Amino acid sequence: MKFLYDSIVRRILSKPSISEISDKLFQLGHEHEINDGVFEMEFTPNRGDCLSVIGILRDLRAFYEVDINFDTYDGEIDNLKIDFQNKAKHACNTISFLKVEIEDDRPYCGVLKNYFDEMDVNKNNFFTDISNYISYETGQPTHCYDEKTLGRVFSLDIVNDDHSFLSLLDKEITITGSNLVFLKKGKVINLAGVIGDKRTSCTSNTKSVIIECAHFLPEEIIGKSVQYDIKSDAAHKFERGVDPLCHEYVLKRFLKVVEENSTIKNVQLFSENNNQVKEHLIPLNVNTINKILGTELQEKECISYISKLGFVIEGGLIKTPSYRNDIKTLNDIAEEIARIIGYDNIPLSTFSIPFNKKTRPCIKEDKIRSILIDNGFYEVINNPFVVDNTSTSIHVDNPLDSNRAFIRESLMNSLIKNLESNEKRQKDSIKFFEIANVHSCSNNNISIKKSLCLIAGGREGKNYNEFSKNITQDYLKELLYELLLENDVNFIEISRENISSKSKYPVFALEILIDDVSDSIKEYKPIFPKPIKFKQYKQISLYPSINRDISFSIDRIELLDILQDLIISCKYEILKDKFIFDFFENKKLNIIKVGVRFIFQDSLKTLTDNDVDEVLREIITKFLEIDGIQIPGLK
Amino acid sequence: MTSSKEINLPKKIVEFGAHHPINQTKDFIVSFLESLGFEIVDGPEIETEEFNFDMLNIKKTHPARQMHDTFYVNNKFSVLRTHTSPVQVRSMLENKPPIAFISGGKVYRKDDDATHLPMFHQVEGIYVSEDVNFSHLKDLIYKIIHHLFDNTVQLRFRPSYFPFTEPSAEVDILSKDGKWLEILGCGIVNPIVLDNCNIDSSKFSGLAFGLGVERIAMLKYGVNDIREFYKSNLDFLSQFK
Repeated sequence: MKFLYDSIVRRILSKPSISEISDKLFQLGHEHEINDGVFEMEFTPNRGDCLSVIGILRDLRAFYEVDINFDTYDGEIDNLKIDFQNKAKHACNTISFLKVEIEDDRPYCGVLKNYFDEMDVNKNNFFTDISNYISYETGQPTHCYDEKTLGRVFSLDIVNDDHSFLSLLDKEITITGSNLVFLKKGKVINLAGVIGDKRTSCTSNTKSVIIECAHFLPEEIIGKSVQYDIKSDAAHKFERGVDPLCHEYVLKRFLKVVEENSTIKNVQLFSENNNQVKEHLIPLNVNTINKILGTELQEKECISYISKLGFVIEGGLIKTPSYRNDIKTLNDIAEEIARIIGYDNIPLSTFSIPFNKKTRPCIKEDKIRSILIDNGFYEVINNPFVVDNTSTSIHVDNPLDSNRAFIRESLMNSLIKNLESNEKRQKDSIKFFEIANVHSCSNNNISIKKSLCLIAGGREGKNYNEFSKNITQDYLKELLYELLLENDVNFIEISRENISSKSKYPVFALEILIDDVSDSIKEYKPIFPKPIKFKQYKQISLYPSINRDISFSIDRIELLDILQDLIISCKYEILKDKFIFDFFENKKLNIIKVGVRFIFQDSLKTLTDNDVDEVLREIITKFLEIDGIQIPGLK
Repeated sequence: MTSSKEINLPKKIVEFGAHHPINQTKDFIVSFLESLGFEIVDGPEIETEEFNFDMLNIKKTHPARQMHDTFYVNNKFSVLRTHTSPVQVRSMLENKPPIAFISGGKVYRKDDDATHLPMFHQVEGIYVSEDVNFSHLKDLIYKIIHHLFDNTVQLRFRPSYFPFTEPSAEVDILSKDGKWLEILGCGIVNPIVLDNCNIDSSKFSGLAFGLGVERIAMLKYGVNDIREFYKSNLDFLSQFK
């Protein structure tokens, strides 16, 4: 919702600056951004009353002297004779129709001109433009029918069969299910509170209009604009609730703007009020307010605060204004007071939990994680929405798309996809696990089970002992001995047909319910503790990496430590990783060879051989400075 | 232990893996709250509308209940929980005050763009006792934020709206580049919710708060795109050791 700073400040006596108003709006809980003197507001769904200039001004009365008495039409209004039948009084208890006939319309002036000049809003036609302005100023949507095409016989009803109509935005709309609509001769002319049809809407030739001003139940409007893909400011307001007692004022204000921009020939009004709006009264109890907020306010202060917002206090009772349908209890009143005081100005009181603390029992899940992480596995978290399904899969009624229409019953496929995407990124040693709930349903009974799935493939590791060996089932069983201690489980080998990548090594996976993992793992003592610091993440490179393997020869074993220290000390922007992947010692021939892999990658570009060679030369020079380290065959 | 045979071998680099950064962040928050005396509770991810909405005073007309915001499953028989608050409802029904519970886990909303995901994580807490008020809530929030960031971080409380708390607040912290960033939501438990959970609201009051784990993780690790957390990219995951 957008508001002009000018629309607001011209009604405030002290003329506060835009930044001051911004601060006050934040204090009141109204989030916004400011662009070129326009406030782009984001109101919470309970504050439908704020969706107008008057609404904002009413709240700003907490801080300023504000004039919210806009000029209204004071001419005569005759009775309008129409044959209107309200067959949905429960959904619309108050409705008015105002007929206005004008002689001509002139270039816009006054508030109407300012609105269209400064708000960057498209013009439609005279009456629709005023209707839009009145909604902006008062928060009450109105709908304008051309009197000639509407006629005098129409009704409001809830229909349960399908109807189609061409909306005033030129969109063919087919309504299905239960809908509150205006009908003429059995045909829909208006989806109530959302959008009217084109046939009966005003045009630039309209000189006689019938303006509908109604109070629709939010329940009847909510969801309709989304269901039929209609962007409707009116629906947005009705969904959040409008002031049921504002119709007379709104229509007189409408007439005033018409009068400022045209010559009125005659005005007639039809009004139907089926339900007296009950006053909502809340007993004032300052002690309770102080108990809610942790303050020591006096009754006088409380009364002063809420009076500014239009609440009337009489005989110990707080009467809420008709536009504040969100205020029901003393907690609501406490919040109103806190907003005016400023949440940041409410003092702090020490928080502590005085009763006995319960110590957390050892959680099996934590231990499973530790075992897997200690053995080189990375934890992943996957989305539960999948396309694969069985007769027991849980179906999502309103999925994001057809590929995410079911809740997964197993974690396995997600992990296969994780492995596949990493193989495509040149990864040749992958060990992943996930712990998550899996869901299924039978006869409307939903089953929830916590599952562990792990998947592994490629090299066992990148140290010299494991680099040239591929992961096998036996390797995994030995590696995860602590986890699978008492379980006679078999890893399954995933068929390469199910993995779309060029890698060829075998892939093994295991899925097991957490409940089926032996309780004895609770005794497991983690080797690697969880990091206690949050390391700053470095953007992942989207460019390919280049590997360079160098075979160093050393003439005595004592040099091994020096060589390793040198490897560790190699630090270059494009050097991503380095490790000893091969080691060979022949004591008889006194030959020691150490294979080192250097992995290069840049975050901003694809590296060339020249880029890599330049760094590699520096590395090699450093290594060869040590007496006894050589690179056989180096030219 | 290194055997005598290995004395002449290079140091074997044993590569260990990593917890997922979201779980690390969640555990970091949960551990701190546990140290304050909160007890961890857990609950189902597929919920009834009664527990996810009705018990929490979220009316049928609230936008969050619409099909465009909430995932419904099995012919509207259930919902994917939109927050972890139903866990607290269940806990309040099963326990008598004073109570102090936290729950953390996956929640679901029908969003999918650069800043919102259909699945994300929350940690929520509730404390119900006699004479719990907004100034206690503020002190607790200061403690949480100072633990998450540091004692010098500037924060502000803004009025907000959650049907299950009244008054309700959102809390922002001032970032290094001078922008206010929303961090959490909190409030005084709406007496209607206490009554729904068979807790005498004339005797007891409560405070509640909820944090989005991804939001905190993004700030703490400096991750700019929330989607990175769920791509399962080894280059990404290996940074969080």
